[in-house]
Amino acid sequence: MRSALLLVKIGWRNLWRNPRGTLLTALALGLGLALLLISLGLLDGGHEQTIADGVRLGPGHVVIQAKGYQDSGSDELLLPAQVVSRIEGFLQTAEMKKLVRGVSPRLLATGLLSSSANSAGVRIMGVIPQDEPAVSFIPQRIVEGTYLSDDRPSGVVIGAELARELEVKIGSRVVLMTQALRQPGVETKKGAGEEMQSTLLRVSGIFRTGLQAVDANIIQLPLPAAQTLLGVPDGQVTQVALLLQQEGDSPMVARALLKQLTGEPVEVLTWRESIPMLAQILGLDHAFNYIMNGVILAMVGLGILNTILMRVLERRYEFGVSKALGLRPGQLAVMVIGESLALTAISLALGLALGLSVEHYFATSGLDLRWIFKADLPSALVLDPILYSRLSSNRIIWSVSIVFAMTTVISFYPALKAARTELPDALKGL
Amino acid sequence: MVPAEWAVELKDVLKTYQTGPIDVPALRGVSLQIAAGEFAAVAGPSGSGKTTLLNIIGGLDRADAGEVRVAGQNLQLLSSSELAHLRLQRIGFVFQTYNLLPVLTALENAEFTLLLQGVPARKRRERVEKLFSEIGLAGLEDRRPAELSGGQQQRVAVARAMVTEPALILADEPTANLDSATAIALLDVMEHLNRVTGTTFIFSTHDPQVMERAHRLIRLRDGQIASDETRERQEARVTARGDAG
Repeated sequence: MRSALLLVKIGWRNLWRNPRGTLLTALALGLGLALLLISLGLLDGGHEQTIADGVRLGPGHVVIQAKGYQDSGSDELLLPAQVVSRIEGFLQTAEMKKLVRGVSPRLLATGLLSSSANSAGVRIMGVIPQDEPAVSFIPQRIVEGTYLSDDRPSGVVIGAELARELEVKIGSRVVLMTQALRQPGVETKKGAGEEMQSTLLRVSGIFRTGLQAVDANIIQLPLPAAQTLLGVPDGQVTQVALLLQQEGDSPMVARALLKQLTGEPVEVLTWRESIPMLAQILGLDHAFNYIMNGVILAMVGLGILNTILMRVLERRYEFGVSKALGLRPGQLAVMVIGESLALTAISLALGLALGLSVEHYFATSGLDLRWIFKADLPSALVLDPILYSRLSSNRIIWSVSIVFAMTTVISFYPALKAARTELPDALKGL
Repeated sequence: MVPAEWAVELKDVLKTYQTGPIDVPALRGVSLQIAAGEFAAVAGPSGSGKTTLLNIIGGLDRADAGEVRVAGQNLQLLSSSELAHLRLQRIGFVFQTYNLLPVLTALENAEFTLLLQGVPARKRRERVEKLFSEIGLAGLEDRRPAELSGGQQQRVAVARAMVTEPALILADEPTANLDSATAIALLDVMEHLNRVTGTTFIFSTHDPQVMERAHRLIRLRDGQIASDETRERQEARVTARGDAG
């Protein structure tokens, strides 16, 4: 134990025989760790933002819809009114209230929106005006006019691209034409059938999300108006979308709902199941980032290996003397590993200080992507041009452990080299 | 009188180094016995085999053939780790170029081998300080090698070799890098320690001044012992030659 302490002391002091070299090496390794922390923070922050945007443009963190809707996409598959009531009742429990931020029942269909100038195919979303803002991104992105309200039952909000195509503005009248929904075994509202239905609406708001597909296709109108137009009885909707406080709770909430709705013809999906493409894109991005980080670490690792190896080779004679005095090969190896670990400790301190400072800046002030992309911001990828870093303590522990393990493993080779110092050849060095 | 056990005993030791395709014989059948407490010098020109002989006695190198016994142990039969243990416990080394660890202070260098032996801190400090005051290093304990003169560094190296109270100290040209006055002072220290502690000293040299101080002088030439005389015999021979003249 005493001799181990001496070896660590020798290792530590050896580091400062060449302070500039030691600091440069520590800075290189520290920079590697800092880059890892910054990139993971931005990656996780970006993913968190993408998921938040994705679910708010889509069906929320968790969605309940009629069984088979996800695969078929058939608008005729609706949730029965009593199921919607059960869902709403369950979500009012104290346990669920803590987890759920917003609930929005929606009726979905396709139709044709016409103005005096033009017509365009649209995706109709019948929503409850006071519920939708808690779940959807669209009410926050109104750039002209106002969002829907109960006192304007014939109001409609449309995307900026669609408004441009139809050449309409706030207050313009538009006609929405669609076919009434037919449900097997369910009687439709009086007057509704297979024939086309149409209704006159007034543009109350124009939104811009930055996503072409949304801005050119989606329209939102009050749920009662949509139900009347589509001939759907009160209480029936296509889906109930939930936005949760924490994305990580999605599987748990989905399981609880599924249990609650056992026996009902419904499917309860997390966003990973309802928007599988988003999950796949994020998975791919993760994999790519891990590879990039691996490359950065490998390059830094090779630099460290080179430095430690050079330090060992330079001191071959010194190792020879120590061995001649009775130091065993294992003790020589411990001395070199101790030196590497001391170097690693300095590097980790530098890396953490640098990495966490930059990460903190990006977490609070954000990284403005407009500065990088100038005018060509890829709006299809990011809805918010300011990217905020999110770095969990698990990520920090993981990163530090990876760097620590890497340098420890790397130091084995130079340590082995030192342990294998051959006598008396090593003493012929001077 | 023949000692019951020799401190060092070599029988027909052969050692050949290979330089590329050429075999270079370093020792050609060296046989030698050194008693405990001797203060012996191995002399000879460069390439005569002095360092090889010391390396083989110290277990730093192995003989190709023959028998090497140190403190009764046949070194040819010991493993590398047993040799390391023997070096740590029984043999002290003083090298030509001091070879102190640059990052340790004089005191830490001197106690290095004690630490490896697991001697407690207080005992280590006591032993090193006693030795330092005996050999004129008192007050230099906290200096690093770079802050010491060559003579002081070599005395620290002697202290490092002596502090474990080994049975044998091997010194390879210990005065080669020192001026005459410092070399004489170092020899005084070594001789004093030899006299007081009874530790066996074997040192190599090609310096006549050092040879004169040895109690026994073994001359090597081309890997063989050319002569092996005690100081008394040398003096008697010189006297006889003077009388004859």
